[in-house]
Amino acid sequence: MKVFTLAELARNDGKEGRPAYFAYKGLVYDVSGSFLWNDGNHLGLHRAGGDLTGKLEEAPHGEEFLRDFPTVGILDKS
Amino acid sequence: MSLVSRQMVEKAGVNVDELVELLVRNAAAELTTFYYYTILRVNLIGMEGEGLKLITEDARIEDRNHFEALVPRIYELGGKLPDDMKKFHDCSACPPANLPKDPTDVKAILKILLKAEQCAVRGYTHICNITFGKDHRTYDLALAILHEEIEHEAWFAEFLAQGPSGHFARNTVGESPFVSKFLHP
Ligand code: HEM
Repeated sequence: MKVFTLAELARNDGKEGRPAYFAYKGLVYDVSGSFLWNDGNHLGLHRAGGDLTGKLEEAPHGEEFLRDFPTVGILDKS
Repeated sequence: MSLVSRQMVEKAGVNVDELVELLVRNAAAELTTFYYYTILRVNLIGMEGEGLKLITEDARIEDRNHFEALVPRIYELGGKLPDDMKKFHDCSACPPANLPKDPTDVKAILKILLKAEQCAVRGYTHICNITFGKDHRTYDLALAILHEEIEHEAWFAEFLAQGPSGHFARNTVGESPFVSKFLHP
């Protein structure tokens, strides 16, 4: 699996046709195909291109929503 | 517009710009759902489909009522609806409730209706959570809408044999028993 640095992840922000990826608990998810991540923007609350670990706590859904999307790599935060 | 009513909400610790954005996105979800449900309802035909027309119509009209009820609050809080309706569609807080590939598949239509209602239940639960005890007017409105979305969810789940909804039918089509106090007669 591809290893992403935070800088590489940030380039996949879903804007201007770029893929929309985010990291969650070490895995990198591709949500480019999701209507709810249009332009890498999730309801004006969260953006693709970053590490969203911990950000689900206030969300009205859990990790199960991530399972429908492919994982494309792992995050290296070192 | 900078009304005291917005200042009070800010002072209570709510990120009002974020809240307004959520209200606009949920208003978009309501109006687009009204549109997509129109198509779903038209396709609910035959022995299986006809029986679902009435609750789908109630949900369709009530979703339009939710849109109408949300709009004043968006403007009161200093927000606005996008000028471009295509942008409005694409910022919806819920995905389009498109007709399934096989429009004669009544169960597939029901599953789409159920998913749409569940998305709405999540959305208004979140708005209630962030406004509770802080923005009384938005909370009251979001809670009223939530009551109706929860009932819609239960109606469709009942038809998918997920258990009885425990509800009685509306007295009039699209009655909006909870949201009607926010609507103009
Ligand atoms: C307060 C923050 C959040 C709110 C209010 C929120 C709200 C929502 C809503 C309403 C849905 C649609 C639910 C449905 O269809 O029933 C959704 C879907 C989703 N959310 Fe969130 N969410 C939040 C945070 C997050 C975070 C932090 C992530 C990632 C770690 C995330 C990832 C997703 C994904 C992948 C979907 C599925 C999209 C699809 O099916 O196309 N959400 N979210």
